[in-house]
Amino acid sequence: MCYLIVGNCAAGINAVEGIRKLDKNGKITVISDENYPVYCRSLITDYVAGTRKKEDILYREKDFYEKNKVDLILGETVKGVDVSKKEVILQKGNPLPYNKLLIAAGASSKPLSIKGEEKHGVFGFRTLHDAEEIIKTGEKTGKAVVFGGGLIGLKAAYGLKKRGLDVLVMVKSSRLLSRTVNAEAAAILDKWFKKNGISIRTGIGPQEILGNGNVEGVLLDNGEKISVKLVIVGKGITPNISLVKDSPIKTHLGIITDEFLQTNVEGVFAAGDVAETTDMVTGTGEVNALWTAACEQGRIAGMNMVRKDKKYPGSIGANSADFFGLPFMSVGYAGEIEEGYEELTGSNDPEEYSYKRIVLKGNRLVGFTTINKIENAGVYTALIRNKADISSIRDILPEDYFDYPKVKDLLERKEGFRESISPQGEIIRIA
Amino acid sequence: MKRVFVNLDKCLGCNGCMIACAVEQSSAGDLFKAISEMPLPVSRIEVKTVDEGGSFPLQCRHCEEPYCIDACIAGAIRKDPETGLVLSDEEKCVGCWMCVMTCPFGVIRVSLLPDKKGKIAVKCDLCQDRKIPACVEACHTGALLFCEVEQFISLVSKSKGDRDVLLNSR
Repeated sequence: MCYLIVGNCAAGINAVEGIRKLDKNGKITVISDENYPVYCRSLITDYVAGTRKKEDILYREKDFYEKNKVDLILGETVKGVDVSKKEVILQKGNPLPYNKLLIAAGASSKPLSIKGEEKHGVFGFRTLHDAEEIIKTGEKTGKAVVFGGGLIGLKAAYGLKKRGLDVLVMVKSSRLLSRTVNAEAAAILDKWFKKNGISIRTGIGPQEILGNGNVEGVLLDNGEKISVKLVIVGKGITPNISLVKDSPIKTHLGIITDEFLQTNVEGVFAAGDVAETTDMVTGTGEVNALWTAACEQGRIAGMNMVRKDKKYPGSIGANSADFFGLPFMSVGYAGEIEEGYEELTGSNDPEEYSYKRIVLKGNRLVGFTTINKIENAGVYTALIRNKADISSIRDILPEDYFDYPKVKDLLERKEGFRESISPQGEIIRIA
Repeated sequence: MKRVFVNLDKCLGCNGCMIACAVEQSSAGDLFKAISEMPLPVSRIEVKTVDEGGSFPLQCRHCEEPYCIDACIAGAIRKDPETGLVLSDEEKCVGCWMCVMTCPFGVIRVSLLPDKKGKIAVKCDLCQDRKIPACVEACHTGALLFCEVEQFISLVSKSKGDRDVLLNSR
């Protein structure tokens, strides 16, 4: 058996481990356009901040590929997939044949799509290469502008501020994190970022990047010009689906997958930021481009490449981060309260940067956001995943003392996905 | 694999397991020195209260397919292929709390780093250097047991009513 994996990050590496659980000898080839062994993409923040060295953000040991008998091809771009010949077409090398293919090609930073964007000094915040260029440019200048108030933009801002740069975050919408948390939580985080020395301006976007070759400044859409040599683009991501555009593999937001993470073509799977999966909360197809989802999808897809019998329960929007010592999380439904939804809040104290919000839809927990109150948060996540009926515990849900013993009977699920053994010897199944 | 189980009928909520765990995790390994350590060592087992007034000691279940491992953006949490233990390399932890966000049991805890250099996630390692985990050894009533799940189930069914005997014997 010959397994080919396009992508060498969270999904690709977990797929290798998934395959090797069930097939110790099949030939595995991993191919990536990046030039590094697998690293923790999310930790480029720490690398930029200067709190982690490059060699300290590796995801697996250096001998991972050797130990798992993986042929690793780095610095090569996959241009297309020929599903009738069962091979992938490469930019430089000869076509590579496969019996089973996993597309885990990830995503790319969304561009600003404005004039002058190609100038040196404009970077996404996604790859180790981005981080190295940002550090180099940052050394020559004491100031950076970040466009985008989502998690990517804020992580970049945090890393650069920690490195000692002056950072200005510009958000086109009226507030930070408009797709990750509700307005109330965003206001708390906004205040915290400002308190920690990051400038934030809302309702403004870039119109043109100025300079000759190198960035010298930005013309904003209100006509104002600012002088800056380092610009970070944190406008979200686009799944790298171009490699399947001339193939019968179907795409929508990402590559469409079924409950086994297989595409519409037998033997071709997709996982990670390139894959569209069913969102557990909305029930619709989404690209939940998250490290956690990529690991889970990669492992399951890998196992299904060997023996197609492991169902994927669906993905969930779930984010957690710590900025200047303030932890925050947001899982599932994070928007404002609309008809049919209900909000429960605990003993919130915005002055102390402490916040918890639970969102219900009927008798189901569909989302939560917490700032500075993170312990036991996974219990909420489990209730969301299991679509548990929470009517018997709804009053205590937002309390600070909420924990597993109060819900253990609600977590029991007949058709389970992952089994764990409770402290009382019972099998607990979580989707 | 052997895990720590609790016979709730026998747990009196004395918190002895928490203290034993924190001492085990301390640098000194001694209660009286541990209480003056900065930062204070964090117990990996927590005795929760339940509505009926009872107690519920809880720690990592060393799941077969742990959510915390998928969630760990730093690659710090791994499953030992030989022992099945879910272990965290605390040096690698960056304190992003993804594991806390996904653990269905809520047993990953937050510990300060020395010199206020931030916080990291910590969890039970089943005292892998000891024959019996410190929490189990410290449990006076035998509520905590370190055994295979089948063994636990047969022991508990045999000891049903022990709490009544204990309470009525005074």
